[in-house]
Amino acid sequence: MKRLAALAIAAALAAMLAGGPLSARADGALEEAAKKEGELTWYTTHYTSEAAEELGAMFTKLYGIKVNVVRTTAQVAYQRATQDFKAAQTIADVFSTTDMGHVMRFKAEGRLEKYVPENTDKIAEAFRNLDPDGFFQTTSAGFVVLTYNTSKVKAEDAPKKWADLLDPKWKGKVSTGHPAFSGYVGNWVLSMKLMYGWDYFEKLEKNKPQIGRSINDTVTALNAGERQVAAGADGSTLYSASRGNPLAIVYPSDGAILIIAPSAILKGTKHPNAARLFMEYLYSIEASQIDVKHFTVPMRPEVPVAAGERPVAEVKSFHPTNEQIDKGIPEVIEQWRDTFGN
Amino acid sequence: MTVSALPSTTVRAARTRRFDPSWLLWTAIIAVLLFLVVSPFLQLLVTSFKSDKTGAFTLANYAAAYGRDRYVQALINSLELGACSALLAGVFAVPLAWAVSRTDMPGRGLTRMLVLATFITPPYTGAVAWILLAGPNAGWLNRIFVMLTGAESGPFNIYSFPGLVVVIALYSYPYIFIFTTAALELVSSEMEDAANILGAGTWRTMRRVTLPLALPAILGGLIICFLEAIALFASPAMIAIPARFNVVTTQLFQFFGNPVRVEVAAAYAMPLLVVTVLLVVVQRLMTRRQGFVSLTGKGGDRRPIALGPWRWAVFGYAMLVATLSIFLPYLFLLQAAFAKAWGRGFGLDNLSLKNFHFVLFEHATAATSVWHSFLYGSASATVATVIAIGVAYIVHRRLIPFADAFGFLCVAPFVIPGVVLAIGFYAAYAPPPLALYGTAWILILAFTTRFLPIGYVNASAAIRSLNPEMEEAVRVLGGSRLLAVRKVVAPLLKRSLLGAWLLMFIPATRELSSAIFLYGPNTKVVAVMIFDMSDEGNFEYLAALALILQALTLPLLWIGQRALGRDFMLRRSAT
Repeated sequence: MKRLAALAIAAALAAMLAGGPLSARADGALEEAAKKEGELTWYTTHYTSEAAEELGAMFTKLYGIKVNVVRTTAQVAYQRATQDFKAAQTIADVFSTTDMGHVMRFKAEGRLEKYVPENTDKIAEAFRNLDPDGFFQTTSAGFVVLTYNTSKVKAEDAPKKWADLLDPKWKGKVSTGHPAFSGYVGNWVLSMKLMYGWDYFEKLEKNKPQIGRSINDTVTALNAGERQVAAGADGSTLYSASRGNPLAIVYPSDGAILIIAPSAILKGTKHPNAARLFMEYLYSIEASQIDVKHFTVPMRPEVPVAAGERPVAEVKSFHPTNEQIDKGIPEVIEQWRDTFGN
Repeated sequence: MTVSALPSTTVRAARTRRFDPSWLLWTAIIAVLLFLVVSPFLQLLVTSFKSDKTGAFTLANYAAAYGRDRYVQALINSLELGACSALLAGVFAVPLAWAVSRTDMPGRGLTRMLVLATFITPPYTGAVAWILLAGPNAGWLNRIFVMLTGAESGPFNIYSFPGLVVVIALYSYPYIFIFTTAALELVSSEMEDAANILGAGTWRTMRRVTLPLALPAILGGLIICFLEAIALFASPAMIAIPARFNVVTTQLFQFFGNPVRVEVAAAYAMPLLVVTVLLVVVQRLMTRRQGFVSLTGKGGDRRPIALGPWRWAVFGYAMLVATLSIFLPYLFLLQAAFAKAWGRGFGLDNLSLKNFHFVLFEHATAATSVWHSFLYGSASATVATVIAIGVAYIVHRRLIPFADAFGFLCVAPFVIPGVVLAIGFYAAYAPPPLALYGTAWILILAFTTRFLPIGYVNASAAIRSLNPEMEEAVRVLGGSRLLAVRKVVAPLLKRSLLGAWLLMFIPATRELSSAIFLYGPNTKVVAVMIFDMSDEGNFEYLAALALILQALTLPLLWIGQRALGRDFMLRRSAT
């Protein structure tokens, strides 16, 4: 009982020293404290459900700490967390989203707990220091690239740079998702606008792209032969290709769009140590290996990427700033609707 | 037993005259009704006039909802979609209804069965099947067309306004069929004989006598189809967005995106509600007139009209409609469900059970979502049955003043489209103190409200058929109202109640439009699961899950038919 009280005080102290990350020297101590808490709840919109469940299960296997994986789409997770706040209860300990705007807003509202994982310096350079104030961290990443159906398009004819999608030879053959439904598509649209101006989409419209909702709709459209080329996600496209579908990706010469998905610890968490340990875990070799298995980009550079992908350091990429994303995506959604009518 | 029990019960009867405990139950039922129907509706109304930030009265939500051309255009699109779908559904339904109920067309039973099969096919399942069939490049119909003609591309494009109209009409025409057959079966042959004697042929008689008599019912059915079409969410989301237009429901969904603007959504939903209420009033007035017709016609006998060789043409038409709504869609759903990759077509090397195995055993939430649907569906059907029988009893036995008002409340949710109902529930019960968002309760309550009108109409018809004498006998012997209901009314109405329960349960297991706004991470239902799969690119898994849902419904239909007779769903849904 006394020990428990001492621990609780220690935990409270640790929580108060929010600025100073719990040191990895105390890795053993963090692990001990986390184990005492026994469980954590993880709202996540990264990954597929299967990958999220597998990541949770691996954490449980490593530390004996139960993870309640609540995997949904970004908007639902955001709504859910907002509802929790309104009801003055913190259910989620770790909140992972694919929409940068969500963590930016939570940060501004003081909903996040500052924590910089000790393992930060072990992850790929490109992913470090996402939030200079340390409230949220990159924990997942992917690219929007050019994708095509290999049974309809020869590799040498496939588009090589973003502007190639505007070629009239692809009229009626392009597929995209919708920025209002998909964070990946939102990032892509914003990046195209930043790189080439809105004119890019005025021209794309002339090629009559088929617009789905999710970025993964492009996978369906290509597989079915409904469309031949697309702006798609590297992970879901290669995953589908690994199942025998005729798909391939091209890293555009003018830059693949790097999508960064953040995680954060929510303020008021009932399992602060388990949450921190989990953040550390997301930067572990084990977690990166699961990432690769599900065709997401590994955080750790020493873990080889999935077949068909390139290591992050070797990809020429483009990435809007957090502020550009927060402000820019709602704008491009409106512009998109004006141009494409949906 | 009765003798020994008598003294004590008479004593109790004397006491209950002062305080009848059944009053508690009636009060409880009424409270539940206020909770389920009145409060969400009021919340919706209040929310639409309330500022999100300050809570003060404002018209800003209406300005936000209707201040943009695009939002207004979505409303216009919905109205056009509703009108076109309803008319096309009429073209499918009316000839079928006439042929089945009035003629000697072969395969009348088969046709009824196929209409029933269409009726229990969720619109989103139909929409997915039609994407497989009529995708502009990859759809099977287009591929076959290209193969046969050698043309560059096929003529069909599901991703268009007409495409959406066809898909909606194909899966809502059973409503018109139900209404029209119900009316036609009441038209006496004498009237047609009279026309024949005066020299009119079969067609002329049909056109000038039979159909006009059924016209109010047909129009009533058209209105229901119209309302169904404008309230649909999934089919427009899957088809209208690639086709580059929005309708009210997809627009409402966008108000639920980040940032969530429930108050704008509430304001935006109001005109839909007004349109619906007006049309339902019109529909009721029309079918009431039709009741008059049926009275005059009821005495005569009804003989099928001999169509001669034409009966095969009519049969051909019935099969054409069934081909479009059932045969083709299910053929390709089966193909996709059993395929390794649906695009590879038919062939033994493409056959696999993997998709079923995956959705049932490997997928993290698919199997659970089926379980959720059945659990929430049965919970809400049960609650709704209890409320429906309770209120119907109160109304027909006039147990309390203004009983009719409560009957009205039970049918009122009928005029609220699922999406709008969901927004009302969200506004009323998602925030604290109840904080039901994300729990199973908010889904169960919403489903209960949504399907309560079906339960009430059926329970009410059943109670009307009961002579009060039997309950009075219980009362005379000293039993309470409650005892009478429990021991006399309920057992006598067992079958009817089972029917009402099934009629609510079956649609509840596939409900999407209200669930999509109310489900939480741990309360996903199968309809939402299927909808989610539609943009994950796995039509094989989706088809497998949709077929599992259909297969699970079959035993329920069987039970219903055993207990209530063949095509109980078609007949009883008409009431």
